Amino acid sequence: MIFKKDISSLHVPHNKHTAGCVPVKIETPKEVILPMNMHSGHDAEPIVSVGDHVYVGQLIAREEGRFSSPVHATVSGTVTEIAPMETADGKGTLAIKIESDGLMQADPNMKAPEFTDCDSFLQAVRDGGIVGLGGAAFPTWAKFNEAKNPEYKVDTVLINAAECEPYITSDHQMMLLHPDLIADGIEYLRKYMNEYLGDAKFMICIEKNKPDAIEVLKKTFEGKDYVVIHELNAIYPQGAKQVMLYNATGRVAVAGRRFPSFGALIINVSSIAKMAEYLNTGMPLVERIVTVDGPAVDKPMNLIAPIGTRISELVKVTGLKCEPGKVVVGGPMNGTAICSIDDPIVKVSNAVLIFDEKSAVLPEASACINCGRCIERCPVGISVAEVDRVMKIKDEDKRAKALIDTGVRQCVDCACCSYVCPANRPLLQKNWDAKAFLKKYAAAQKERQEVTNNG
Amino acid sequence: MAKLHISSTPHIHQKGASTSKVMLDVVIAMLPAAVAGIIIFGIQALWVILTCVASAVLAEFLFNLCIHKKQTVGDFSAVVTGLLLALNLRADIPLWQCVIGSVFAIVVVKCFFGGIGKNIVNPAIAARVFMLLTFASTVAGGANPIKPEIEASATPLVTLNQGAEAAASIKVLDLFIGNHSGAIGETCAIALLIGFAYLVARKVIKWYVPTSFAATVFVCYFLFGGFNATFALQHVLAGGLLLGAIFMATDYVTTPITGKGRVVFCIGAGLLTFAIRQFGGYPEGVSIAILTMNLLTPFISDWTKKKTLGGVK
Repeated sequence: MIFKKDISSLHVPHNKHTAGCVPVKIETPKEVILPMNMHSGHDAEPIVSVGDHVYVGQLIAREEGRFSSPVHATVSGTVTEIAPMETADGKGTLAIKIESDGLMQADPNMKAPEFTDCDSFLQAVRDGGIVGLGGAAFPTWAKFNEAKNPEYKVDTVLINAAECEPYITSDHQMMLLHPDLIADGIEYLRKYMNEYLGDAKFMICIEKNKPDAIEVLKKTFEGKDYVVIHELNAIYPQGAKQVMLYNATGRVAVAGRRFPSFGALIINVSSIAKMAEYLNTGMPLVERIVTVDGPAVDKPMNLIAPIGTRISELVKVTGLKCEPGKVVVGGPMNGTAICSIDDPIVKVSNAVLIFDEKSAVLPEASACINCGRCIERCPVGISVAEVDRVMKIKDEDKRAKALIDTGVRQCVDCACCSYVCPANRPLLQKNWDAKAFLKKYAAAQKERQEVTNNG
Repeated sequence: MAKLHISSTPHIHQKGASTSKVMLDVVIAMLPAAVAGIIIFGIQALWVILTCVASAVLAEFLFNLCIHKKQTVGDFSAVVTGLLLALNLRADIPLWQCVIGSVFAIVVVKCFFGGIGKNIVNPAIAARVFMLLTFASTVAGGANPIKPEIEASATPLVTLNQGAEAAASIKVLDLFIGNHSGAIGETCAIALLIGFAYLVARKVIKWYVPTSFAATVFVCYFLFGGFNATFALQHVLAGGLLLGAIFMATDYVTTPITGKGRVVFCIGAGLLTFAIRQFGGYPEGVSIAILTMNLLTPFISDWTKKKTLGGVK
């Protein structure tokens, strides 16, 4: 096999209109809605009741179960409602509604967390409600916790500053505004996880289309030889963790294994900054930079908004050119289309994109013409068109075998295949179907094995 | 407020990526050859082209109408088939034969197998081979150019097959500009190469796919013809080789899906072309070579599957 240096391969128009927009703090919203599922694990459990007064940064819901994360009030005011809300994934969740008193009073008891060793450090990160802000919302402490596994031997920490999705510039702004926080975060990790990450190389992986941020980072980390600013070509999907691992270290992420087992941790640049902010001041994750852009937005901007602010409030600041046809939270390649413009932004909402009616609807799918562009553009070289075909095989054993042959388990969910398909086929969804089927099949297989062994 | 659209990712699509645009690019790439054909063989060639295209489109339209299938004529693939078939026919063929060929291509070869994307062999080639067997006298060989100063003669391939000595009478320049007898679209190498450049520039095909076809034939004749480069070049330019390599061996549907597979396909087709031209009964081997390789496509696809990064075998 010819060694390919850069496996990401798709030129998507960057549309980074807001690259030069310094984030503007919005006026305190009248109310915020805080869903309990702003992280990857179980929903958090509310500990306040209707009528309670809360301060900014006060704990209002505690983590419940594995990979859950606490939720803090993001405005000061009164809890007016704790009710179920609909979410884009269809599961629904509880949401706490807080009516703001307009004062944005911080919790008077707030103080920076105390920690002395690795365990208390991880506990502090856990209490701060810090989750992966790149999109997965995996609790940050749990990620670090995994690095403690002696088998993994983590020697590289990848700091994901690629921001490869079109439109979004919130991480970019974070790097320009708070390089000090990123530096603090790295120092915290080096100090308190010394046993595990003491010799690790910190690689800040950033796309070349952000020269000003690269400049700032280079200045910040001058003389620190354990930090490397790794410049990546501005080609989608550099930010996908498997792609970043390969492009930065040459290691291949094999499906079905935990990420740290490849000797690397990956953490979003905003997460590490927000973590440092909490450890410095005690103010948990209550506000974030969010890019508001899209074909229907009049004046694309970067805004600083309390988490839980309704999108309609953000749009009031930027203005709309026309009626919205689709509202996407996140990037256009990987973001989620939501049902209502009154939904709130959450911890991971790095961007809100408003599409007009015309750009909201993609062309209808037609028959595959075997052009092979999906395979050519797949960063890991999955036979995508083949997945589409073999999913039709009736016999489950045969189907599973054929699917494994296509390599679909390596899929990084980047959506390049769907993006380039001239027949507009929903190829990414086929990959998801295939992965779900394989998971179910493997579970059934295991069960069958156990029955045979026990019988 | 109007309801918002909900959909899965991605929310944007590559600009200009659509089946109809791909097909339209192929049609545009074939136009230089078609125009050259009309100039060389006269207005008759235009009637052949129009008849083939019109009957191909009409056949697909009526077929879809009859079986209550969603109309697919808008994707221009029937235009491609009709035009490609016309370029493979002689200008002096009776028009009713053109209609039968086009209908065979669309209905029997394409629609019966499930329409666009499902056919096993290239419709235009299958139809040409079908016509070669059915209407041998009007399909085989080639019409003579209309220019009065050129004497009626056999196609260059027939001459070439008489050996290197006879081949010396054919000027390479004539092959480039197409001043010799043959099918409508196959004689003018320059027009075909313009189409090739257009398809590569538009990223519809990869340059190495047709090149590997032509190169295989060149190498075979170079070795066989006693290291005579001119003789080998004459073989590449004569007959339907360039037309086949550029427009038929690059058909997405009937060739393997990976670049590697497509090169294997073309090398195979090149070897077969050489074998048929050199040892077979027909002077022209491209159609049958591609048709044979079309049938082998699923196997080649299997052998040349792309290896997934990190995939467990």
